[in-house]
Amino acid sequence: MAYAEAVAEGIWAAGVARVGYIPSVTVAPVINALVASDGGANGVSPRVTPLSREEEAIGVMGAVAFTGRLGAVVMQDNGFGNALTALTTFTLSYHLPLLVFANTRGGLGEYNSMIHSISQPVPALLRAVGLPVVELDRRSGAEDWRDTVQEAGVQAVMTYRPVVVLGSFWNTDGKVA
Amino acid sequence: MRRIEALGVLADLTSRHPVVATCAATSRELASVKDGDNHLYLLDAMGLVGSVATGLALSVNPSAPKVVGIEGDGSLLMNPNVLPTGGYLAPGNLILVLLDNGVYGSTGALPTYSSKVDLQRLAAAAGWTTRSAETTEGLRAAFGELLTVREPAFLYARIEEGNAPGTEKLLIDPVSITGRFTRWLREAHAAEVAA
Repeated sequence: MAYAEAVAEGIWAAGVARVGYIPSVTVAPVINALVASDGGANGVSPRVTPLSREEEAIGVMGAVAFTGRLGAVVMQDNGFGNALTALTTFTLSYHLPLLVFANTRGGLGEYNSMIHSISQPVPALLRAVGLPVVELDRRSGAEDWRDTVQEAGVQAVMTYRPVVVLGSFWNTDGKVA
Repeated sequence: MRRIEALGVLADLTSRHPVVATCAATSRELASVKDGDNHLYLLDAMGLVGSVATGLALSVNPSAPKVVGIEGDGSLLMNPNVLPTGGYLAPGNLILVLLDNGVYGSTGALPTYSSKVDLQRLAAAAGWTTRSAETTEGLRAAFGELLTVREPAFLYARIEEGNAPGTEKLLIDPVSITGRFTRWLREAHAAEVAA
């Protein structure tokens, strides 16, 4: 099982009803796996849809929780700057479960000279506002990634708040950037 | 038409609908006119009404009464992505009502872009079916028309500048809003389909 497929499997296994994504080259294989497993093609399926910005993704997918189900967002970590107000004043404040999977940038394997300026402090930023963060990297296998993503979704539901999984694809079978 | 008059009409028309209302003066005035378990007040999160309403529309039974978002021009302009996203995802059970007073009404009445940018045309270009209103009677009629369309619907309502004096602040714990709104969706809104 590829790491991207593992993330997709973990998202569905968590009981996610709907996924919104903001694309990056790193999460594209995750999105493709989600779409393929949901019977879609070309980035769209019945339960998987593109969204234009991280902030609105938190609004659209966070709202799923009002109907007693779980939404998920797949994105890249440099988008958390866009999403922070929505994550705090909407999902956190209204106690709405939400699963967020984001690939990391700015670390090992990075080519871009400035993206670390936002990506490096992301885990601390998220923890500073009270968001649970789980970090994955090359040190665990694809099965562990799948189980971790699944359990993060379960934890989001149990604790009525967003849970963020950050995945570094460096030295896995995935592409960093 | 003053905002509170428009909200009076909307409150009267939406008792069977999930209503997502934008922050500050709009939510306060809506609650002062008529509070209800079907009201989801976004106490902050400016700009998120259209996104939350879209997510709700995609998640509830499409045969149940439509999801209604009540947004202001300043707030919509903070997250204009709402328009292309709604047009693209195209939930047929969504009505976004824009109350345009031309200013950031809760934050010093500084001007928005709406005097130069036609927000109704923006919505139409993004694929929304639109109507407009300048009076309470027109608002009521336009809302009724938009209940029947199968595309995402955008109701542009021009309102006067200014807030209703003496309206109390909404000092509600957001969690209590989630609890009552979620329960209402499950017990009342979903039951409309079964009925």
